[in-house]
Amino acid sequence: MDELELLKKDWKKGEDSFPKLSYNEIYKMILKKSSSIVKWIFIISILEFVFWVALSFFLKYSGYSDDIVYVESSTAFIVLSVISYAILAYFFYRFYMNYRTINTTDSATTLMENILKTRRTVKQYVGFNLIVMVVSIGVLLPHFMNQDPKTKTIIENATANGELFKFYAGIIIVTLLMLALVIGVLLLFYWLIYGILLKRLNKNYRELKKLEV
Amino acid sequence: MHKELEHSFVELLEKHQNIIHKVCRLYTYDYDAHNDLFQEITIQLWKAYPKFRGDAKFSTWMYRVGLNTAITLYRKSKRRIKTQDFDDVQFKISAEEYDDTEEQQLKLLYNAVKQLNDIEKALVFLYLEDKNYREISETMGISEVNARVKMNRVKTKLRTILNP
Repeated sequence: MDELELLKKDWKKGEDSFPKLSYNEIYKMILKKSSSIVKWIFIISILEFVFWVALSFFLKYSGYSDDIVYVESSTAFIVLSVISYAILAYFFYRFYMNYRTINTTDSATTLMENILKTRRTVKQYVGFNLIVMVVSIGVLLPHFMNQDPKTKTIIENATANGELFKFYAGIIIVTLLMLALVIGVLLLFYWLIYGILLKRLNKNYRELKKLEV
Repeated sequence: MHKELEHSFVELLEKHQNIIHKVCRLYTYDYDAHNDLFQEITIQLWKAYPKFRGDAKFSTWMYRVGLNTAITLYRKSKRRIKTQDFDDVQFKISAEEYDDTEEQQLKLLYNAVKQLNDIEKALVFLYLEDKNYREISETMGISEVNARVKMNRVKTKLRTILNP
């Protein structure tokens, strides 16, 4: 006899062995809070958006920005701010729309795809911010060094001592190390999120998609 | 309106609760985990209930949400501690009553099913619930051909586990 047929026969018999929950017991359950991964993904994604917005506010209103203000004219700064908020709004809108399409009554594959899509939007937003960060450091740093009187004096001294190359190499190495540190921390964060939250989902998604044409 | 919705939902769920118990039986290993998953499926069903239009059967709709919760949404709760194995308890009772070779074979079979991965368990579950390949493919979101191939592989895998 087929193994599954034997199992099926017994499976039907097993129905009576389950505990019977009463109306009140079930009612109490629906008042409890869910702890599904979708809820966690939503919370973590919101925190990521908040993190980047908070970071940009921090840079804007800390002492650091005073130095930048004369590097870039304030009009350019306003334009950049508007663009960055528009991009944030765009990503957030997409994230929210993706989140809303997550529906537990879809097929298993569609549900998994929608969850992964929601995550991908946030990942793209973080990626976008990282690129902006790298590019703006690349553009602003040389600009800043040319304009800042203190840095100018240091460069002049370095030139006089014949250590200009050493000075630039030092700046570049420190900048790259700082960037590597920030990106490293973020990658670790992602590795943890995926490790803990999405490992099972990704595994099951791959399993479902296997052999699918 | 909300109270009415709650009432109709809890009544329907009370009637069809075995579907959730069966999902929990395949995906969990002890009483606490069983109850934990049962609760999460109930919450997910309740959250999805306002969108339930009744064009599908309530039970069919429950299979989807139940499996989706077990495979995708459920996060094992940290607060539970491992207690006695569910099937062991069930088996002990039945073994004392019958104690024949079929029971022994069934125990091995249940243990083999427990070793399958989440997707394979879902396929076995739908098969045990007499769902045809069209329904299986719709629930899992894969093609019917793929569902058949996967099911055959599950059977082979079960045989390999049983006769290593």
